[in-house]
Amino acid sequence: MSFEPKIVGFLCNWCSYTGADLAGTSRIHYAPNVRIIRVMCTARIDPTFVLKALTDGADGVLICGCHPGDCHYSEGNYKMMRRYPLLKSILAEFGIEPARVRLEWVSASEGQRFADIVNDMTQRVRELGPSPVRTALVQDMAER
Amino acid sequence: MEEHKIGVYVCMCGTNIAKMVDCDDVVRTASEQPGVVCAKTYKYMCSNPGQEMIVADIKEQGLDRVVVAACSPRMHEPTFRKALQTAGINPYFLEMANIREQCSWVHDDRQVATEKARALTLGATRRVANHQPLERMSVEMCPDVLVIGGGVCGLTAALELADGGNRVHLVERASTLGGNVARVDLTAPYLDSARDLMTALVTRVEEHKKVDVLTRSQVSSLEGFVGNFVATVETIWGDSASVSQFKVGNVIVATGYKEFDASRVTHYGYGKLPNVITSFEFEKMLRAGRVQTKEGKLPQYVAIIHCVGSRSKEFHTYCSRVCCMTALKYAQEVKSAVPSCYVSDVYIDMHAFGKGHEDFYRRGSEAKTLFLMYGKNDHPVIRKAGPGDDCEMLIEVNEKLSGEVIEIPADLVILMVGMEAREDSEAVARLVNISRDKDGWFIESHPKLDPVATTTDGIYIAGACAAPKDIPDSVAQARAAAGRILARTIRGVIDIDAVFAEVTEDKCSGCRVCNELCPYSAITYDADKKKSSVISALCKACGACVAGCPSGAIAARHFTDAQIFAQIEGVLA
Repeated sequence: MSFEPKIVGFLCNWCSYTGADLAGTSRIHYAPNVRIIRVMCTARIDPTFVLKALTDGADGVLICGCHPGDCHYSEGNYKMMRRYPLLKSILAEFGIEPARVRLEWVSASEGQRFADIVNDMTQRVRELGPSPVRTALVQDMAER
Repeated sequence: MEEHKIGVYVCMCGTNIAKMVDCDDVVRTASEQPGVVCAKTYKYMCSNPGQEMIVADIKEQGLDRVVVAACSPRMHEPTFRKALQTAGINPYFLEMANIREQCSWVHDDRQVATEKARALTLGATRRVANHQPLERMSVEMCPDVLVIGGGVCGLTAALELADGGNRVHLVERASTLGGNVARVDLTAPYLDSARDLMTALVTRVEEHKKVDVLTRSQVSSLEGFVGNFVATVETIWGDSASVSQFKVGNVIVATGYKEFDASRVTHYGYGKLPNVITSFEFEKMLRAGRVQTKEGKLPQYVAIIHCVGSRSKEFHTYCSRVCCMTALKYAQEVKSAVPSCYVSDVYIDMHAFGKGHEDFYRRGSEAKTLFLMYGKNDHPVIRKAGPGDDCEMLIEVNEKLSGEVIEIPADLVILMVGMEAREDSEAVARLVNISRDKDGWFIESHPKLDPVATTTDGIYIAGACAAPKDIPDSVAQARAAAGRILARTIRGVIDIDAVFAEVTEDKCSGCRVCNELCPYSAITYDADKKKSSVISALCKACGACVAGCPSGAIAARHFTDAQIFAQIEGVLA
């Protein structure tokens, strides 16, 4: 059986979570690999959420928020946008491939876009294989 | 961690969930989780018996946390919170797992969908154990209302609200009230005069003591939240502009539509052939009482072409709803103005969906209008007639019912232009913080059950700004939105979510990073104590300060680190 990645999705309540719901009401089918966690705004996403997901066994983390300029809280997504490169550079230090953590903008009307992103990300992470964090943890457990 | 008694309820939603998710399996997995004392499935959890079951279990088994795995929390979270409250426990002891919109409806493999539903339910179960009791807050609700748009919809809403005793600020961009309906002659299917209808409405609004009309005006900003918005409006006076500011509790967006630009359809020759005109140009003729060609002659042949800009792959895929009946109205109006005239009606499908529409269609057929059906994306072609023809133009139609290519004469061609979202709809959406669909129409809170509310509390949409609509539907929505607002303002106060950020003083280092991060200036700094604190009434719970605090001193109520960490563990377990 081919490797099926587990991906945690952090979606903002106003645009992206609503967009994911729209994909549902529109019956747009997509890969089942993303488990969605709702936050009020991408600005709430503490980098530790991403690290926690990776250490708990996620092979990838998808962050979705409102398009720039469309934030319900006017500028929360810009805050995420600024934190994101810092987070990515830390992850790179740990040897986590850039494609495993992804930031995307999905509006409430973009159900199709959300489905496309999930499909694309699932495919990319599938190609990367299991997360090195997960592999290292499993190894660590075995050695104990 | 303290011990909880958790109840897990997995909804089958008829077959909506049960078809793709093995609900019994989800229940089995959930019941093995620590703290879970009861786990059940039910056909419709949101139904009265479903809710009563949860209430009974809370009372009888002493449940103190509840997970409902069902539809999106955006749909039924308020329903189940109310059930918890009925049962006597804090409504925030609920967590929903979205296994319909984000699971059963989007997957096609029952096994993997079930696995995902198990994970989502587990995430909710772990999270709910960390939920804290929260109280809802009551804030004052300003009874005044801002209505944006002075067309039939905005006018009706303004009157309804003002008659109910609420002050209304009616903002219209144009110099006069009336909107698109004021450009129309008679209305289908009862042939009432639009002018009489609008004159009565406009006069009542202008004379109403409770309505402040601001024409030549635009809302430049809207700050605050439901019950307590502050609107800033710019009014143009000749060369100068003035700015006014007022407080409102709710907003109705009734900005309507604009007509499709017929020159975008090149094959009808609009703008090149002088006697190809749009429906609105024909209305102008009718209002002037002269049906004639550009040359001033009485037309012998009039052709009406449907779905210009609507129901096409190239322009808009949707139906504009009003054009079919308007076209039938034109056929009747042409016949009464020029009785000897031949009228042909070139259509794709005749959409006669409304009250009285089928009868109107039948009367049109009996009045000897020639109906010709063309295929979607196989549009008729108009060309100038030759010197030997007794008409101005010839229209070639690939007639679908007969299967023949038919050529019909025309002296005047009326293009039934569809409706489209106004070019400023994006700016309006941004101004009041609502969303638009792919066609630019504003999105309602729920397309069936909550058509005039939006996802932003206190902002309502009515009429054709949400999708093409006829006058009765727009009026119904105007009254619906006004009714919703009247029902809310009558209490004088409004309960708002108890979800906001809190600073733990002991942990606060006084670095003031959060002060800068807050978009609402809801964080104050006490220079003596060297501590920051959150003004809960101003906080909108975005959580930017929580994630930004280097000391971990700020907690987002209902979205705490512990709750989200538990959910991450759950979905990955």
